Amino acid sequence: MGRDEIYPGTLDLLILKTLGRESPMHGFEIARAIQQRSGDVLQVEEGSLYPALQRMLVKGWVKGEWGLTDENRRARYYRLTAAGKRQLESEVSQFERVIGAMRKVIEKA
Amino acid sequence: MRIAERARGLWMLLRRGKAENELREEMRLHRELRERELQGNGATVREARASTTRRFGSETLWRERARDAWGWRWLEDFGNDLRIAARALRKSPGFALVATITLGIGIGANTALFSVIDAVLLKAAPFPNADRMISVHVSTLLFPNFRLGLSWPAFEAVRTQAGAVEKAAAYSSSEKTWIANGEPSLLSATGVTEAFFEQFGSQAQLGRLLVDGDQEPGRDHVAVISDALWRTRFGASPQAVGQRMILDDESYTIVGVAPPQFSYPEKTQVWTPLALPAAARAQPIFFMLDVIATLRRGERMERAQEQLQAIASQLAKETPDLGTGFALPATPIREEEMPRSKRGYFVLQGGALFVLLIACANLSSMLLARGLERRREMAVRSALGASRWRLVREALAESGLISMLGCAAGMCVARGGVAIFQAIAPADTPRLSQIAIHAAVLWFAVGVSLAAGIALGLVPALRAARTAPNETIRQSTGPNALARDYGKRLKFGGGLVVMEVALAFVLLSGSLLLTRTLAHALQESPGFRTDHLLTFDLPAPRQIQAQSDEAQARRNAARAKAILARVASVPGVEGVAITSHPLLTGMMSMSSNLQVEGALPARSEERSAYLRAVSPGYFQMMGIPVLRGREFTERDSEGSSAIIVNESMARQYWDTLDVIGRRISTSLDKKKQPQWREVIGVVQDTRDVRVVDRPVAEYFVPILQSSSGGSVLVRTRLEPQTLAKTVSRAIWDEFPRQPVTRVMTMTQTIAESLGDKRMSAVLLDAFAGIGLLLALVGIYGVIAFTVARRTQEVGIRMAVGAQPRQILGMILRQGMLPIAVGTVLGIAGALALGRLLASQLYGVKASDPLTFAGAALLLGVVAALACYLPAKRAMRVDPVVALRYE
Repeated sequence: MGRDEIYPGTLDLLILKTLGRESPMHGFEIARAIQQRSGDVLQVEEGSLYPALQRMLVKGWVKGEWGLTDENRRARYYRLTAAGKRQLESEVSQFERVIGAMRKVIEKA
Repeated sequence: MRIAERARGLWMLLRRGKAENELREEMRLHRELRERELQGNGATVREARASTTRRFGSETLWRERARDAWGWRWLEDFGNDLRIAARALRKSPGFALVATITLGIGIGANTALFSVIDAVLLKAAPFPNADRMISVHVSTLLFPNFRLGLSWPAFEAVRTQAGAVEKAAAYSSSEKTWIANGEPSLLSATGVTEAFFEQFGSQAQLGRLLVDGDQEPGRDHVAVISDALWRTRFGASPQAVGQRMILDDESYTIVGVAPPQFSYPEKTQVWTPLALPAAARAQPIFFMLDVIATLRRGERMERAQEQLQAIASQLAKETPDLGTGFALPATPIREEEMPRSKRGYFVLQGGALFVLLIACANLSSMLLARGLERRREMAVRSALGASRWRLVREALAESGLISMLGCAAGMCVARGGVAIFQAIAPADTPRLSQIAIHAAVLWFAVGVSLAAGIALGLVPALRAARTAPNETIRQSTGPNALARDYGKRLKFGGGLVVMEVALAFVLLSGSLLLTRTLAHALQESPGFRTDHLLTFDLPAPRQIQAQSDEAQARRNAARAKAILARVASVPGVEGVAITSHPLLTGMMSMSSNLQVEGALPARSEERSAYLRAVSPGYFQMMGIPVLRGREFTERDSEGSSAIIVNESMARQYWDTLDVIGRRISTSLDKKKQPQWREVIGVVQDTRDVRVVDRPVAEYFVPILQSSSGGSVLVRTRLEPQTLAKTVSRAIWDEFPRQPVTRVMTMTQTIAESLGDKRMSAVLLDAFAGIGLLLALVGIYGVIAFTVARRTQEVGIRMAVGAQPRQILGMILRQGMLPIAVGTVLGIAGALALGRLLASQLYGVKASDPLTFAGAALLLGVVAALACYLPAKRAMRVDPVVALRYE
């Protein structure tokens, strides 16, 4: 299909970033947003969103509230908390450090 | 932060039904939206569904991962493991039952004994400051081997001069006659100085305890009674406080009741202020006051001892007559309170521990067998993806569950055990009624059983997890199924059998030794006729003890004579005699610094002997042969200087029995000249102090010369017990204030004196019996298991012509080998541990070959039986069935 799997551990970052841009969102919206943003290149196994969201709920990075979709379906809408925003910043900067370092290695080669 | 996370996780776990539903709902929505989107892009319903499923992944897996995210997975798993284990145990109730009982017996016996030791030995001195409290004594070579009390000056020196001592109090116990409702009885009374009760930090349960100021003359006729006395004699009435009680003709007012647990010194019934006449207070050579002291906080025992030593040196310098080696040894009060037969309890605890070890070996063997039986199941599950850790965890949960069941069973056994102990322990065991299985012991039991369960469960569980599944499955279905596995099992099972047999042997030989000790002690003749003999003590009333002039002494003698005559006139009485202290109760009096005329030079250093005063006709009535000369007659009573020695004494000092007319001085007169007494008779040795003590040198003087109470011996025509009441009444008719105590038959006295030996023997017998039974079960289990595993092999052997008897021989040979090894190890162990038992034994050596042979024989028979039953089953194997067996 020509879709790339995401690097392990970056799923949290993607979810946080997505929610940081626009929230609240429910699970399917988050998945779709990640795919659209990446131009359908990044592909998550969609179910893996849910354990990740549960983990983030427990960690207190996101909050979930039940609401209704446009079509009047019950859905859980996730929103970043203050702790989630801090986590997003630290993950972004860490990610950039890693990518930066990798880029240097690749360019030299 | 971490805590908040844990709490959120726990919240999810607690409402996990709802959380799961929410998760399900989210996922359903997700999939529906995705399907609809795909359909919108032109896919068919079917394609959309398949594609959605592919992109979503396994919903079950994601839900499980989500649960993991809560962080409480282990708890859930634990619950699951327990449920699985419980189900597995329900499916094999036989295994569960035997395992529970086995462990229950082991844990129960240990818990019961631990409770007993805790109450009897460790709980001694339950006072708040007990750690800082010491008791101080005197030792001097004047009276070697005796622990004496202090004089008043010595007590004052300790109280005021020892810097490490914060408070000190002296006390002195005696027996006082108490006449209540016309019946005189004896109370154990303790006179105490100031600062006695306050050191114990106790509060009166009614009224008050003795306080400073009670000791002042004129105000000192107050008394505190013990809880036991209050309950038994005052009906626990609040009106007891304020009542008067007449003790030794003096009137005391009861001011309070001591708290229920308080009994110091042990068995005291009434405490009064210590009344010490001025003359006695000034006397430096006086060994009557027991002293307890509390050390200052942070002071060490060693420093107190140094200070006491300095005080002792000073006192000895001032009063050289205190004797050489005068010292003031101090003992922590906790040690003071321990019963004499301390070692006996540790022997018993050792026995209980052996039972537990055997129980554990059995359990281990059972778990191992079970592990092997379930290998195939484990292998299949492992092949289906169960992790090894998970299998190990399940096995652990199962053994943990058994431990908990065993623990519960153990508590029941322990309760029963404590009740049995209370029934058979000697009545004077301290705090006997207070034995309770309390929290510390409960945790001990839980700890032991959990540790046992986990340790025992781990071996088979790890083994099961280590084996590669395909190999196990292939092995257990292939024709040569179990050869290798069987070999390992035999080695391990054999090891267990060796251990069990060794432990059972040590237990068995120990119990046989104690049983033989008891039998020896019971058979031992004390050297006099013990049948038809009633005894009781006649404590002399105080006014008689106190008077010492010649005329009074004669009146006392007349009084004692009158009492004896009164007793002799009771119908059914054949003879009566009186002696200075009761027989066979461990009581004795020792006479030192004897001067013996014509004694062998080599023996001149040993100048002490037991001393007993007896009435005329004592030897004849007691059936003690007079070997030379004669015994005392009425004529010897009037101030004669006659003395009778026993065989041992004659031989020790003169090396001959022909010693009539030789002279012994037992004391000095006022001019420090020896007061010579002349030997008029030699009597055969008796064991009159304890049945199990070898006779030693002893001499006898006429009792009526100095009479002040004593122990009366009545030879009866009928059962002695039937005369007990009549005799007491006969005495009270004439002497209404004369207490009559400890009315017992001689047979009862002997039984009571052997109480602790009986207890040790009975309990260790019980442990050995249980140990043997467990070993039997264990050996049976191992052999039965190996036989079952070898069914196929046996079938082949029989198919190619082996006779059933050969099969039987083969199994028995292999089964008995570890038993023989175990017995040898057991003998070695019993020899090594014999030292500990030696002090408990009488009439038999700790390494007694006959006992060992008996134990080996008994064990061998039991073991052979345990092997024979499964071997017999193997013999009956039908080859056709066996070959099909898997």
